[in-house]
Amino acid sequence: MAGVGRLRVEVIPLGPVDEVSISVVAANIQTFIGLAVDVAAPWPDPAYALIPVRGQYNALPILRALSESIDIDMLRLGLFAGDLCLPILTYVFGEAQVNGRAAVVSLRRLKHGRDGQRVLPHVLLERLAKVAVHEMAHVLGLKHCRSPRCLMSFCLGLEQLDDLTLRLCSDCERLIAGRILR
Amino acid sequence: MGILNIMVVDDEEAMRESLAAWLESSGHQVGLAENGLKALDLLESGDYDLVLLDIKMPGMDGHELLRRLREHHPGIMIVMITAYGSIESAVTAMKEGANDYLLKPFDPKQLMLLIEKMASQKDMMADYRLVRTRLSELEGAGFGDLIAGSESMRSVFRQIEEVAQADIPVLITGETGTGKELVARAIHAQSMRNCGPFVAINCGAVPQQLLESELFGHERGAFTGAIRTRLGRLEMADHGSLFLDEVGEISTQMQVNLLRALEEKRFLRVGGSREVESDFRLICATHRNMQALVEDGRVRTDFFYRINVISIHVPPLRERGDDIALLARHFVKQFSSEISKPIQELTPNAYRLLVRHSWPGNVRELLNVIERAVVVSRGPLIDAADLTFLGPEPGAVKSGATLMELEALHVRRTLDECDWNVSRAAEILGINRGTLTRHIKKHGLQRPC
Repeated sequence: MAGVGRLRVEVIPLGPVDEVSISVVAANIQTFIGLAVDVAAPWPDPAYALIPVRGQYNALPILRALSESIDIDMLRLGLFAGDLCLPILTYVFGEAQVNGRAAVVSLRRLKHGRDGQRVLPHVLLERLAKVAVHEMAHVLGLKHCRSPRCLMSFCLGLEQLDDLTLRLCSDCERLIAGRILR
Repeated sequence: MGILNIMVVDDEEAMRESLAAWLESSGHQVGLAENGLKALDLLESGDYDLVLLDIKMPGMDGHELLRRLREHHPGIMIVMITAYGSIESAVTAMKEGANDYLLKPFDPKQLMLLIEKMASQKDMMADYRLVRTRLSELEGAGFGDLIAGSESMRSVFRQIEEVAQADIPVLITGETGTGKELVARAIHAQSMRNCGPFVAINCGAVPQQLLESELFGHERGAFTGAIRTRLGRLEMADHGSLFLDEVGEISTQMQVNLLRALEEKRFLRVGGSREVESDFRLICATHRNMQALVEDGRVRTDFFYRINVISIHVPPLRERGDDIALLARHFVKQFSSEISKPIQELTPNAYRLLVRHSWPGNVRELLNVIERAVVVSRGPLIDAADLTFLGPEPGAVKSGATLMELEALHVRRTLDECDWNVSRAAEILGINRGTLTRHIKKHGLQRPC
């Protein structure tokens, strides 16, 4: 376990999530956010968040559940194979409590390309790492960045996500470092 | 993208919360209201750019709140939120003044694009307010019919005031279309002769053989067709001001006659034997370099000194900075009122386009452009898209232009400079009138409307 400061991130599979995805997310959070990462035992599938008519899961109650009973020096990232949304939005790749304690990322919509076919595993894993780092940076208080090449810029879709490299701009890096040390 | 202060008005907590969370992650400031009354309270205490307003709410619904907001907070942008199946209601709201609508749940891409559009609109409105403020400052800076606020024109106004009372000849110089006649009229209006007539004649537009009769009048039977005695402009201007536009076009022979009339305040009508008297103030104007015409021998020195006691130079529009926007706005009001079209303003983009143009035809060109834009415009604002016909500059020569294209360009420019006085343009081009007419036909040139 490596990282800066006392703050830790706990990566929690919400229901069944493959081991490789969990490892990739943990490694990238540790590398790009600079926090120590623990992988927790899987939590049950978040059935409480299901919106039956939409067949999707509301990210907000999941975030609330993740931020309950949490250690003072801990942040949590939920990994979920189901389709996430917000009541007001048709879908989200991930959602975070800005300057809060928890974030959640869904693999569901990252698996497919424009043609509807499944993408190669390395593409999926890269997308997953990008969304996870992006959401965890939100938890540390970062908002969307105006630099179009920064991982914290707002992505209008998977194409734009694929175009981004897995790196933060220097301003966002500085902000993250500042938040961790604070 | 700019940061917005956004209020979310929705009776469903989940909708409010999720929208707020999403908007805050993009850095926007978000206020939440669960009903119309709370929204009105928040608006009293906060400064919001955008309201995301659910149409269907208990109590005061979105339509009612929209009406109140439009009445009391007209500057706020409003986007209606409605469920699938209620699009008609959203369209009604658009007619009632909403800026846009979203069908919930939103696609995140659509929401982001809409927020970007609203942020851009906010910036545009800020530009618009700046322009309006500046124009309001400048309005009231006019002088009679002259609309101007630039320092160069303020200097012209000062000169007008200085010379108006002196009752001496004034020569007004400046490019075609700069408003030399308006300056002459302002001098007349400010002078002690303002109760008398202001008589104008464009000496370049009247064939020289007719100019004598136009200026001095003629007696019955003086020449074929002179079936009755006719007063000339000098006589009509008695106790008032005589404005000789394009005075540099008067022949040297006519200059002699005119000089005598100016010095003696009396002259003979064509074919007359009895001198008539006329007391007028002379105001002349030209777009030519009079000093050069004197050196060329086309203007007599004594005539030049007689008319050039005081000179006022009217700057070209391209050197008048803010006046372009000020005049454009004035003309929009004028023409929209004339044709009863509810056009109130130009957009900042349209102003930017106008300011970038070099206006070789000066105020007259601007007037024509705005008149045309008012006619073609379909909305309440004239946008840059309504000014696409501004096109390339008349002097712009594209790379690889043919000789034929250059000829057409030069002929067109000369005609514009002469206000389409074909005789004068032919003289400048060094060809006769008939040849120029053939060139005009060959190149399909037309006088601007």
